[in-house]
Amino acid sequence: MIVMSRMNEILQDSPGETLFLLGNEAVARGVIEAGVSVAATYPGTPSSEVGDTLFAVYREAGIDFEFSVNEKVALEVAFAASITGLRSFVFMKHVGLNVASDPFMSIAYTGVRGGMVIMSADDPSMFSSQNEQDNRNFASFAHIPLIEPSNPQEAKDFLVRAFELSETLSVPVLFRTTTRVSHQRTNVVLSHVRKGEKRGKFEHRSGNYVSLPVNARSLRKKLEEKMLRISMGDYPEDLNRIEKYGREKAKYGIITSGEAYNVITDVVKKNGLSVDLLKLGLTNPLPRDLLNEFLDSEDEIIVVEELDPFLEMHVRSHINATGRIKTVHGKLDGHFPPEYEFNYEVVSSGLNSIMNAGIPIPDEDVSEGDLPPRPPVLCPGCPHRATYYAMRRAVKMMRIEDPIFTSDIGCYSLGFYEPFHEADTMISMGSSEGIANGLSKAVENRIISFIGDSTFFHSGIPPLINAVHNGARYLLVVMDNGTTAMTGQQPNPGVTMQEINGKVSIESIAESVGVRYVRTVDPYDLGSTLRTMTDALKYDGVAVIVTRRECAIIRDSRLRSEGKIRPYRVNTEKCSKCMNCVENFACPAISINQGNITINPTLCDGCGVCAEPYVCPFRAIEAS
Amino acid sequence: METNIIVAGVGGQGVVTAGTLFSQSALAKGHNVVMSEIHGLAQRGGSVSVEVRIGDVRSPIIPRGETDLIVGLEPMEAVRYSEGAGKKTRFLINTETIAPISLSMRGEEYPPVWELLSRITDRFEVYVLDALPFAIEAGDARAVSTVMVGAAIQLGILPIDRDSTLKALEKRFTQRLYEINKKALDLGLSCRLSQAAMH
Repeated sequence: MIVMSRMNEILQDSPGETLFLLGNEAVARGVIEAGVSVAATYPGTPSSEVGDTLFAVYREAGIDFEFSVNEKVALEVAFAASITGLRSFVFMKHVGLNVASDPFMSIAYTGVRGGMVIMSADDPSMFSSQNEQDNRNFASFAHIPLIEPSNPQEAKDFLVRAFELSETLSVPVLFRTTTRVSHQRTNVVLSHVRKGEKRGKFEHRSGNYVSLPVNARSLRKKLEEKMLRISMGDYPEDLNRIEKYGREKAKYGIITSGEAYNVITDVVKKNGLSVDLLKLGLTNPLPRDLLNEFLDSEDEIIVVEELDPFLEMHVRSHINATGRIKTVHGKLDGHFPPEYEFNYEVVSSGLNSIMNAGIPIPDEDVSEGDLPPRPPVLCPGCPHRATYYAMRRAVKMMRIEDPIFTSDIGCYSLGFYEPFHEADTMISMGSSEGIANGLSKAVENRIISFIGDSTFFHSGIPPLINAVHNGARYLLVVMDNGTTAMTGQQPNPGVTMQEINGKVSIESIAESVGVRYVRTVDPYDLGSTLRTMTDALKYDGVAVIVTRRECAIIRDSRLRSEGKIRPYRVNTEKCSKCMNCVENFACPAISINQGNITINPTLCDGCGVCAEPYVCPFRAIEAS
Repeated sequence: METNIIVAGVGGQGVVTAGTLFSQSALAKGHNVVMSEIHGLAQRGGSVSVEVRIGDVRSPIIPRGETDLIVGLEPMEAVRYSEGAGKKTRFLINTETIAPISLSMRGEEYPPVWELLSRITDRFEVYVLDALPFAIEAGDARAVSTVMVGAAIQLGILPIDRDSTLKALEKRFTQRLYEINKKALDLGLSCRLSQAAMH
């Protein structure tokens, strides 16, 4: 959430001024300094704050910014702006680029007009993701340039360079951050703001933007020529640099990029190692002359990078292809691991094994592993808790044995945890339904799918059409909290935020594609939710229940500012200590203290669901 | 010289606010600062931490054993982060407890605070403080994180002081909240810290 004064700060045109910015806020500032006209995204951590920042300032900045329905559409929106000559920016989390990869691979061929940059925020160590795919591979896969910043300052400055490079060569540029760059906060020195053009001009260029084979064949060759030009030196020079450390003549030359650069330089400085370091901001294609100069001045090479041996493989190939003989150390010879993010210990241990650096690495302190865990939980007042609670009861009441729950990407993925255990599969956006389609062919079990409103719009509609067309049988629960909650409450097509946003009805979509059973309930009303669920579980075919209730975080911030939150409390005289509320409802505001059930008044948001007789049959939970 | 701080707590307690205050205060002193904000999957109620590194460093991740101070807004979360602590690490812990649902669901209660702390008092200097009454006295229960920042300055191991932290408060809060937090800071600076003894 960005406050007003911060909003003006990020817009100011005062070069030399310093702001303490999150990497993602610095990216947003880079968008403003680069004079971007059109920006689009689908929210995804660790990229989300770029969108939050732009959403707060885009009108004042004169940027046409949108939260698109998914990453593929976002990329096409940006591409369209670019071919009219405007600068455009599209950003997403790493797995979002999988969704956008279809147009991504082909716009590399067609090329662009106004500078176009695609940002992928990767997530080494998977802080908030289902995998840690290294999207640098997408740059070499598509044959487009790749730029990697190491810190917020570079995130801003390199982004501006990325636009220049894109425009010079008419090629889209992939801009790759990682969690530690996007979620790192440091001082950033501002540069000039450039005002983007308001309107572009579409030029009818015969064939250029039509990927028919006849056109694609010639565009393919042009793309190779562009990449060759870049590798031969047609790129902004300040993206790469050579640094020298230590007092002695270095035996080892280190090639690095991104967050790995931060870690390796901390290790080198702290231990006074003498090494030369090639810090690459442009990591595809490799800058040939600079690389040759560096290779020829070092005895041995060490490549320090997170995740895949991306630079290492390209450096090894280059050495081989240019007839050089040079020892290279990295992941392929086992000194650094291919998985998870790097830290001081991992990098030190790699250097110890390669160059006998003798860096002391302390043992881990005694583990406190037997502490009660505090995994991520649904917030107090979260409507999803009520939905999951009701479904568990409905399944029990209907005596359904061994139901299979297919879940999806969002806050409600937390239904996997106890006490609900209502997620047997969760793979990718929309997969709750795709997998339900397949399971209904493969097994006789009752299949219940959970998907959020935003994910439904993003990827949930085609599998619903598939279900109707191919006769799949499952109960789909669309948990509509009116926002894209997990990434920080961004709007989606189901909500009207502004006059320009049309509102799309989930029920109308379901009905119009041919779903015959469509119901809507308020999950806070446990009784009718339960009745609807038991009824829907009898239906043989594809059935849809929309559980609609505003996200608790949005509701709380509104009620709190109005002073209207009334927490509930437990009447100990009525409480029979049946433990149903703590064991099966599991709201973080409810706990046991000195033998009594108590509700923490600062955590309770007064949703009142726990006071319903379906949770507390003794009516011991009362409004205070 | 570098100083490394971890702020740990439960989502919604003001962990990021405390981290930002330490950072802005050190910046006002002219130091380089790298702060790491990793948000997990949960918006509220999950375990949350930020790392603040002050000095000539680039990576936002504190090397193992190099943490100078762990500020725990919640006792169990403070103990959880002792895994990365080292010989020089000190703890400053707010004694207000928040029970994780993993306990309640099994019918169990939050353990006594002294019992939790006894896991770390044999190896570390541990200071405790009940910050909530001071925050309420300052005018807002949510000012707990600012009280803790004041108390942390008292320990004399951080390269920040009252003046630099007031500048940080100015950047962070509107006028009304600034006054409340200024009072919370001063209460933190002047409160009596007790050292949790070994058991």
